Amino acid sequence: MNTDYQSELERIEKNIAELRDHALVPPTDTEKVTKYVQSVYQHAVHTGNLAQLEAVEPVIDEGIRQIRFPGDLYFLKANLAFKLHRLDDVRRNLAADPSLPVSPEGRAIQADLDFQEGRYAQARDGYQSAIASNRTWDNLARLAHFEARMGDAAHADRLYVEAEDELTAKEMRSYAWVELQRGLLDLAHGRHTEAGDHYARAERAYSGHWLTAEHQAELLGAQGHYDKAAALYQDIVERVPKPEIQQAFGELLTVMGERERAQPWLDKALAGYLDPAQRGGVHYYHHLVDFYADVLKDGDQAVKWARKDIALRDNFSSQAALAWALYRQGQFGEALESMNQALASGAWSAHLFSQAATVYRAAGRAEDAERYAQRAAEINPRHRSFHVHR
Amino acid sequence: MADHNDPNAVNSIFSDIDVSAADLYDIFGFPSDDTDGGEKVVIALTFASVPEAGRLDPDMLYRIQIAPGRRVMRASEEDQSLGALLKYFEGLKETYLGTLRPFEVRVTVDENNRAHIRFINFPGGSFSQVIETNKSLTLQSPDGHPIKAYIGGRDDAFFNDLPGFFRSINYAPQFYHVPHTMTEARELAIPKTLIELEGNDLFNFDPANPDWGHGVKKDLPPGPLTWNGDKFAKDKNGNYRFVYSGKDAQAGKNINAIILEIPLAYITRNPEHRIVNCWGESWVRKAANKVETIPDDPFWLEHPHVLIDALKLDDELKKYKLVDTDGQAFADAALSEREDNRQMGANNFWLAPHFIKRLAHLGMGFGPSITALGLKCSFDHGNSPVSVHKTFSSVLHAFPLVKPVLFQEMRMPDDSWNPKGLNIPLRRPVEIFIPNVNAIDMDTTGTWPFGRRPEDQVATRFLSVFLDMNADFKGKKYHVDIMNDPAVLDALPLEPKTPPNPLKNDKEFLKDFPYLAEAH
Repeated sequence: MNTDYQSELERIEKNIAELRDHALVPPTDTEKVTKYVQSVYQHAVHTGNLAQLEAVEPVIDEGIRQIRFPGDLYFLKANLAFKLHRLDDVRRNLAADPSLPVSPEGRAIQADLDFQEGRYAQARDGYQSAIASNRTWDNLARLAHFEARMGDAAHADRLYVEAEDELTAKEMRSYAWVELQRGLLDLAHGRHTEAGDHYARAERAYSGHWLTAEHQAELLGAQGHYDKAAALYQDIVERVPKPEIQQAFGELLTVMGERERAQPWLDKALAGYLDPAQRGGVHYYHHLVDFYADVLKDGDQAVKWARKDIALRDNFSSQAALAWALYRQGQFGEALESMNQALASGAWSAHLFSQAATVYRAAGRAEDAERYAQRAAEINPRHRSFHVHR
Repeated sequence: MADHNDPNAVNSIFSDIDVSAADLYDIFGFPSDDTDGGEKVVIALTFASVPEAGRLDPDMLYRIQIAPGRRVMRASEEDQSLGALLKYFEGLKETYLGTLRPFEVRVTVDENNRAHIRFINFPGGSFSQVIETNKSLTLQSPDGHPIKAYIGGRDDAFFNDLPGFFRSINYAPQFYHVPHTMTEARELAIPKTLIELEGNDLFNFDPANPDWGHGVKKDLPPGPLTWNGDKFAKDKNGNYRFVYSGKDAQAGKNINAIILEIPLAYITRNPEHRIVNCWGESWVRKAANKVETIPDDPFWLEHPHVLIDALKLDDELKKYKLVDTDGQAFADAALSEREDNRQMGANNFWLAPHFIKRLAHLGMGFGPSITALGLKCSFDHGNSPVSVHKTFSSVLHAFPLVKPVLFQEMRMPDDSWNPKGLNIPLRRPVEIFIPNVNAIDMDTTGTWPFGRRPEDQVATRFLSVFLDMNADFKGKKYHVDIMNDPAVLDALPLEPKTPPNPLKNDKEFLKDFPYLAEAH
């Protein structure tokens, strides 16, 4: 029997097959064009295939050429650009249709942009305003994500609960996704059992999704169930060609002492990150920073990619990543400066504080380092356990 | 924060949410002709036949709420000021939100398409039963009353030129592919009208494309989606063109339905209760319930504004989400614009100011077109020679124009609606649309607005609220069906000379339970 994931994928593939040969051939029908383009996009998103996702863009462009009012497709393209971290393209596509910036969906993405570009107050206002005018599950989840990053986990979880309350039996994939976010919140605070409960609920809600399995594998690793985690990762990397999962698998194997088995996966991951970057893609800059800083311990390369990332989106995350890269490079003074910028944002996580502690210590600020280390431990006593770079 | 994890990752521009089974179509209600063993009321809630006619969606829950009451007799000297009107609405609100405790019929189906029907809190006792779908059955109430029930597929009992109505309000999605994100391009800012506007190429009938709007859609044209003319269109004979065709857009279509015939004695023991108010609701199961793990609800505690509603919900309803309500015909489509956040069912009191402004907006469009045809209009459009697109931000400005519409009695074509010849006041729009319930008068035939019988042409009757019921045509007073009268249509400078909507359904209704015709 098919899992929910397989059934949905088959449904999308059926749509694509039915429309592929004629949807974009003039004379076109707006609904068919839109449905086809949307299906191609959905397929790429659900399979987690970045190459496929990049290949959606020319299909959207063709769709835009074929219909008179392509606002929906510009919105889709803005979403795609967001997923690929091309924030200027997000703006450009939102501006391409006058109805988009003022639409509820457009305003929500604008708030996402504000968050990504470090305008935190505007982002929060934007999310709250989006919810006030359009109380949808995804807008609630957006604000929840923001609050989680800014350290109010309890508020974030309440917002996720509210998001779930908006979701119906016809939206089980979305429900499962929110459950994964709630699980991540618990994981970030060391509550492994609770995280596991959320992941199990996600699986019950929408069975067979690699995304759920990937979260479960991380949790197993964090719990020290390395063999089980490795078996699950092995299964996932065979299904989904995502370099970040390959990296996670490689790092897990490294933790397990299986360096020889780990190396091909780490090599694949690096190649997977570099390949789109060499083609001009910016999607994996952040992962390249992590990879060079933490896997290869190569400060020079880490700083190179961190500076590229921060040029795209100057936020606490990219600032902290640069700080970490600079630390790895031995530039402790500059690392401290960048870390202070990140901390000034109000962002709050065990991971951030743990890195801050290290940077402060390296910069000779032992007292501050201890304070951040304590804070990290308070947030998540298990923050040094296996985790994935998200 | 690599942020491959934002809701964008799962959100899509087009809803893949199929909740169309929640789309309620109509609620019919009338006294049964079968009075053996006592009076009975027939109530039929119809909704989209999804997944298919005869098969209901197991994620849905349908409610029919029933509240018997007395017939309200009008004071001889009535205060018809805005203040008094709002006070009247406030009184209704207190009744519906406070003292009224409606009884309820609740229906779900299981994965085997068996219906679980529950009768809750009726004076004749609560009970539940699992029944076969698509079969007329007689259930026994705890106090021994036989209740007829049918749950399943039938022919769509609504017969109506829906594209004509959408043409009259310039509703673009019926005629054009309107992008999801182009929210301003729904009801276009073009005057609403019953006859075509000269040069309104966006909506005027196209003889070269007669199916346009009847399933055929065009791409929205470039340029402003407005109309800049100043007169109604006329043909070479000087006739106006009706935006309605009279064709039944629902012909050949099916619905799913919950049809009940309930003894009045089961609903009330008070002989003064001659009105049976009813309305329907559709609820869709929440995702959390689908996985059988209801989250603890800090939500309710954190949000006292919803707590009031939440407290009224029983444990089962908390697992569902209200999607649609249906009480009075056209209360949603015409007066509430079918916005999701206005799905308030009977509790539509907070909509009262909106209702007045919306009615004024419709009147500024329909009114001049009625006058142009030579008919007397109940709405004060200031003798405008052509329909006007005007929105009202102030109820104070709207009310004086709307007042004659609100307070006029809706005259019936003859006395057949009142077979007992009782002193029953004619209903007025102000009483019909708020609260949004189907108020079935058990001493009438239940024809609209005293209920709603399947054979009622309610779409045309709704339009008649804009006709001056005190006027007469060739010595005969206007009435709710006057637009169906061939003599009237023949006399109007109008083409085609057809009633706006079909006069009968494509399939004959049945004389007996379950009344609605079999599915196609």
